[in-house]
Amino acid sequence: MALFQKISQLREFVEEVIKILYYYRGRVIFSFSGVTLGILSICIIITTIDGANKKAQEIFEALGPDSIMVFGGGEKQRAARVRVNTLKVEDAELLGRVEGIYDLMQTYSARNITMRYKDRNWQTQVVGSTTNYFDSLAWKFQTGTPYTAEDYEKSEAVCVIGAKVYDELFKGEDPLGKTMIVGKLPTRVVGVLEERGGSAGGHNMDDRVIMPLTTVTSRIVNEKRYLSAVRLRTNRDLDRTIEDIRATLRESHGLKGNLDDDFTLRSSKDILAFVTVISGSLLLFLGTAAIVALIVSGFVLANLFYLTIQERKKDIGIRRAYGATRKGILLSFLFESILITFIGGVAGILLSVILGSTFEKLFDIPMMFSFKVVIFALLFSFLTGILSGLKPALTASRIEPIEAIRE
Amino acid sequence: MIDLKNIKKSYFVGERELTILKGIDLKISKGEFVVLMGVSGSGKTTLMNIVGLLDKQTEGDYLFENTEVSVLNDENLADMRNRYIGFVFQQFFLLPYLDAIENVLIPIVYSKKGIKHPREKARALLTKFGLEHRIHNKPSQLSGGEQQRVAIARALVNDPELILADEPTGALDSKTSGEIMDLFQMLNNEGKTIIVVTHDPKLAAFGKRLVRIEDGAISEDITT
Repeated sequence: MALFQKISQLREFVEEVIKILYYYRGRVIFSFSGVTLGILSICIIITTIDGANKKAQEIFEALGPDSIMVFGGGEKQRAARVRVNTLKVEDAELLGRVEGIYDLMQTYSARNITMRYKDRNWQTQVVGSTTNYFDSLAWKFQTGTPYTAEDYEKSEAVCVIGAKVYDELFKGEDPLGKTMIVGKLPTRVVGVLEERGGSAGGHNMDDRVIMPLTTVTSRIVNEKRYLSAVRLRTNRDLDRTIEDIRATLRESHGLKGNLDDDFTLRSSKDILAFVTVISGSLLLFLGTAAIVALIVSGFVLANLFYLTIQERKKDIGIRRAYGATRKGILLSFLFESILITFIGGVAGILLSVILGSTFEKLFDIPMMFSFKVVIFALLFSFLTGILSGLKPALTASRIEPIEAIRE
Repeated sequence: MIDLKNIKKSYFVGERELTILKGIDLKISKGEFVVLMGVSGSGKTTLMNIVGLLDKQTEGDYLFENTEVSVLNDENLADMRNRYIGFVFQQFFLLPYLDAIENVLIPIVYSKKGIKHPREKARALLTKFGLEHRIHNKPSQLSGGEQQRVAIARALVNDPELILADEPTGALDSKTSGEIMDLFQMLNNEGKTIIVVTHDPKLAAFGKRLVRIEDGAISEDITT
């Protein structure tokens, strides 16, 4: 009976608070939407950053945590997207001798090559590489096989195509054994790669044709001296290996003193570091904005609450006269403000799910919703409710019944 | 029920001490109907606040239901008010966001008495006061007399011993005032102790006892 009474009293109490909120709905909606916006931005930030990190982790896994890319041209030229041939064929040989290197993949990329099959055209890049290309990148085949060591030695006109190229030229057809024209060279398709999606640089990894390096450098372009890139894998410490590679290349290229490198080294660590920097600044800027939004809405809530308390002095007085304790008044006002921010928080979470999935579809931004986001958002809205409600609730609880009732 | 001994109340206004009550001795027993009469500034409202456990005396002893109340803390006082006293005020003080029956139910939220079926009880009270068709109306949709009757129902819902009414007819016309006072008489006949505080001499006739306050002291105490 006592328990039942407690429950029905609690229900009465909650119902009353809801009626109060409804009665003052104008200002409630005002403070509520502030909280909603704040929580919305917090949710979006967290899901975006989580999404970016997850994506980065995927790229990291895909590239292999022990890999180092060596490109021709220094950082400045790369930044300006100027292609400079500085990486020599002999360099690859030297790099193969660096301590700890157990895998070496060489590439020469020819860009803007037109592919033709039947009446279809597609312009893309041709990557000439060593036979270990697919193993090195852990890239699986949808169908077919890689080109063989024999193909490589004999500079055979065979190719493996990316999923995008397949879609553009062969969609709905079995491409294996078919001949397509690469530039001017009729080339036999031996395999189709699985889809991999965007790369760290923003290119579509699937939009490429891979052929033996020897075929590309002798039959598509005439390039016997330089390589575009070398990809190395090490079983030694990554940073130390990078130092050795740099030293080897600087010696080979005759770079002394403080002359800039004429090549660029990239490891999977750089990609992670890059994402960390990006998500860090994202967190900093958007996070600040979100916190500011929450603080402002907290202030708005507190101020509107103060106003309400002046208006509700008699309400408080009558409740005190009829047996409400100071604690009871304090709790009911706190409950009111927490309820507002809590509902605001839930609305923010729901909106962020809707907005987030829209972003994901429209702009291809990876988003990752998690339980963590919900917990964070609810915690934040709860805190806002307590912090902005505490002072007004304390004020309300200190009102004496006689001063409230006196006209 | 109420035993006031040499109750004094004074305030400090700046440096000056302002004495409102100058030693009140008053006993009120169960079942009485007391009209506490005094002009404004006589101290009658202060006295009512002390009697109603809303304010504390500066000096003197107050036994309420044989309990010395000056030593009670906020929580005990709130509990005592809830348990024993039903308040009625001049301005009704109904909460605007609740309808009539919900207003009546307010004391139940704080009650520890375990009143059975409070909603049915509130409905019965409103019906008894002729408000059965007003149960779900908001205060703003009720006339003054109706609002005061809702307020009286609220005062009664938790079964208090004592109804304490401060100028209950102050905001009503004379006809409605008469009806409200009749209601108090009816409740008194049912056994409730009633104290009505007023400045209006016309109300004196409704009570069984008249206590007149003048300048912070009792000047007259007649049982009719």
